[in-house]
Amino acid sequence: MTETPILETALPLATSGDIAVINLESARGQSWNRFQRYPERPGVAGYIVEQEQMTLQFLSDARALDRLESLIEQLVRTGIEPTQLALIQAQVASTAHRFSEARDYLRAAEDYGRLPSAANRLLLSIDQACGDKLDTLLESRRQIAAESGRLEDLVPLGSLLADLGQFDEADSIYKQAFRSYQDVSPFALAWVCFQLGVLWGELVPEVQSSRAADWYRRAIEYVPSYVKARVHLSEIYLEDQLIGDAEALLLPALASGDPEVDWRLADVMTAQGRASAGKKYLENAARGFEALLDNYLLAFADHGAEFYSGSGNDPGRALELADLNLANRPTLRAFEQTYETAVGAGQLQAASEILTAATLRWGASHAFSFSPLAECGTASMGGSDALLNELKGAKDDNRP
Amino acid sequence: MSDHVDGPRSIGDPSIDLTDLFAFTSPEDPSRTVLVANVFPSAGASAMFSNVVNHSIVVRRMTVAGLGEAAKFKPDDKEYRFNCKFTDLQRVANGSKPTQKGTCTFPSGQELTFVVNDERGASTPDGVFRVFAGLRSDPFYLAWLVAILKKFPNLLEHDNVLSIVIDFDTKQVLNPDKGPLFGVIAETSAIPQPRTLIGHEPPRFDWVGRPEQTNMRLNNPAMEGADDVRDLWNQMTPFALAEEFQPIFRKRLLDSLTNWDMRDGKADWPPAALTAVINVYLDDFLLFDVSKPINDTSFFEIEKSTLHGQPYQTGGGRTVNANVIDIMLTWMVNNDREFLQGGATGATKPGSNSFPYLASPNTQIQTAVESVELAASPDKVWALIGDFGAVWEPLVASIITVGTGVGQLRTIETIDGKRIIERLEAIDNSQRSYRYSLISGIQATDYVGTLTVSPKELGSLVKWQVQYWADGQPDILVKTIISTLLKTSLGSLRERFGVTQ
Repeated sequence: MTETPILETALPLATSGDIAVINLESARGQSWNRFQRYPERPGVAGYIVEQEQMTLQFLSDARALDRLESLIEQLVRTGIEPTQLALIQAQVASTAHRFSEARDYLRAAEDYGRLPSAANRLLLSIDQACGDKLDTLLESRRQIAAESGRLEDLVPLGSLLADLGQFDEADSIYKQAFRSYQDVSPFALAWVCFQLGVLWGELVPEVQSSRAADWYRRAIEYVPSYVKARVHLSEIYLEDQLIGDAEALLLPALASGDPEVDWRLADVMTAQGRASAGKKYLENAARGFEALLDNYLLAFADHGAEFYSGSGNDPGRALELADLNLANRPTLRAFEQTYETAVGAGQLQAASEILTAATLRWGASHAFSFSPLAECGTASMGGSDALLNELKGAKDDNRP
Repeated sequence: MSDHVDGPRSIGDPSIDLTDLFAFTSPEDPSRTVLVANVFPSAGASAMFSNVVNHSIVVRRMTVAGLGEAAKFKPDDKEYRFNCKFTDLQRVANGSKPTQKGTCTFPSGQELTFVVNDERGASTPDGVFRVFAGLRSDPFYLAWLVAILKKFPNLLEHDNVLSIVIDFDTKQVLNPDKGPLFGVIAETSAIPQPRTLIGHEPPRFDWVGRPEQTNMRLNNPAMEGADDVRDLWNQMTPFALAEEFQPIFRKRLLDSLTNWDMRDGKADWPPAALTAVINVYLDDFLLFDVSKPINDTSFFEIEKSTLHGQPYQTGGGRTVNANVIDIMLTWMVNNDREFLQGGATGATKPGSNSFPYLASPNTQIQTAVESVELAASPDKVWALIGDFGAVWEPLVASIITVGTGVGQLRTIETIDGKRIIERLEAIDNSQRSYRYSLISGIQATDYVGTLTVSPKELGSLVKWQVQYWADGQPDILVKTIISTLLKTSLGSLRERFGVTQ
């Protein structure tokens, strides 16, 4: 994989992330106040959905999901125009990863009349999140991005290309998103940086941690409160034994209430030999994850599975959550996670079945050739014993 | 994980979005002119200016270059440019909210630095310029559903905007002896930076001349399926509309104004008159004459009189309280045959006659206060509840603290499994008082609590006050949650220390 060069000096300038966060909160509060006074007014609820999505995406404020549910409850009571209501219900369901429900709402919206363009965009997002119709999706994404040339259309295209294993082009598209940006919102630019961090740190076959770290750092420079960027960067620091740096990165994010922060801080404390504090943070993380899973199971199933596979140390719970996530959206990455979780839980037969299902669904795709599952799949050609040995080997040496 | 959030549409920065431009004679002093540019629609209660944007108000002297169907206003080449830039947040040590400063550069080259939201503003030593910048109640009001031309309550009720108010000595700055008629626009653009991409010129984000050029004339909401040309318009250079784009905008204005004319089913605009109006609209700047009276109804009078082939009588301009939408709709729909009054007769709050002329911002802060008188000394009570990390409230199962002193975070686990995170903002043990803010856990924003223990007769008085904005839930619901928390906690102190008889 080669990275398209982009000079550090070429990164666009943006409004200070601290100001932008204050402005987001201020505008969001205003939208809610307006909604409380005039719930039936067109457009107000739509703004709230956008602002809450941004609050969730960048500040990891899971209460945004509670607020969105509350929005729906109140909208239903106001007797808003049915197409509008169905579209907002679909957006909220999709935000909580209830994709099947979101599709139902969109179908209902269609029954009321012509779908607005926002609904078509949402459908594309749902298909992408679920790994559905990726070929036609790619065509649509390319067309939309070519027509608009805008960051908000280029980033999903880059993300889709990365999902399809076309990493170089994904990188290039993300860089194009930078160049195309004609505004000063740090959120947009931090989003691109974060995607590049994920691309180089998690998606490419041979990860480049220092390159990923650079992008996460840039994301944090744009938006210091970007919790997920802090968490991802802290993971790299922990791997590199930069324990103090990881701690410094995580402490400001603790206030977000995101249990991933507690989890990584627990890892920091453990690495520093502060077992008691580590235990407390781990307990907080577990409580936090369970609280999220209680309310928004599908939205946090994959994160929960990752936690319980790791420091959370409950392989059974991890597999249960990974299975749920896989059933909800059978992407290649969900298959990889579930397979790895099954191996970790010692459920070798289940792992074998997951591998078979993954091969059936994704085996012919370009992305599959980069997947660790491809290697296991090759081993499985030698028969079930060879597969089980491979799976055991993978478990023993922390593969795949 | 695939990114299934398809990029929020509001991924742009709303603080660069100009909402309105005003030009009027100072109600405090007729020898001074006031220019106001507002940004950030529905800004809320705590918005700040972008620190990477140039906010400019640009004035040019004008001459009337044609009357009647040849109506034309010709701008002079000389610009009077007022540029305002703002800093990043300035943190203060005592835990107060961060502040922001601004600097305005005037046509003379003078600079003036001021604190955002300081209502007194700042003045240059010679008194020529005075500036305010900060949150204000939005003076604009739109009381129509314009797509269907139906009266409606003000759609911007209770909204705030970020305002830049520049008040200056007319004679010293604009030298009206050379001609008293001026055109003004406001624009937001990127501050040129050495870090920008090669070939990536600092863009102009937005500009505004007359109100509603983009949202009602170029983008008539009743014309379904018409291409949105607003972005293209915003890329045009003010005072100098590019020749090659004129046909696009001319055609759009013709279609749009024809549509507006027929909204009441009657054609009030002859083709020649419409063509003349379009020519005037294509030169988009707000006209004002500093030698004539500018009042709440003089908006657009300069253009109208000139189009009628007559000398104008007022200073035109636009005051804070001008009812521009109804004036404009009446003109476009029925050519001033019959005044169209919308569903509101004023903005949320009227402007004032004193600097900074725009009304204070709208707030809806909620307050919950509970108190209890106890039969124990203040020191004894404070010893229990004055520790930010102490567990004494019955609804609290445990507290974990991070850090010490101001800035300390406490994570409260309630007995029903909720998690509340709060930050210590100030503590004064001698006054037995601390102040804290909510980080997360209750559906409220700008949540600040103050707990105080003071002497009361032979015992003490504990007062607990919380101020907040309800966030995502009806006010009453949030208030109930907070009041219950306060009452239960103070009730437990009554049991522990006894009450004053």
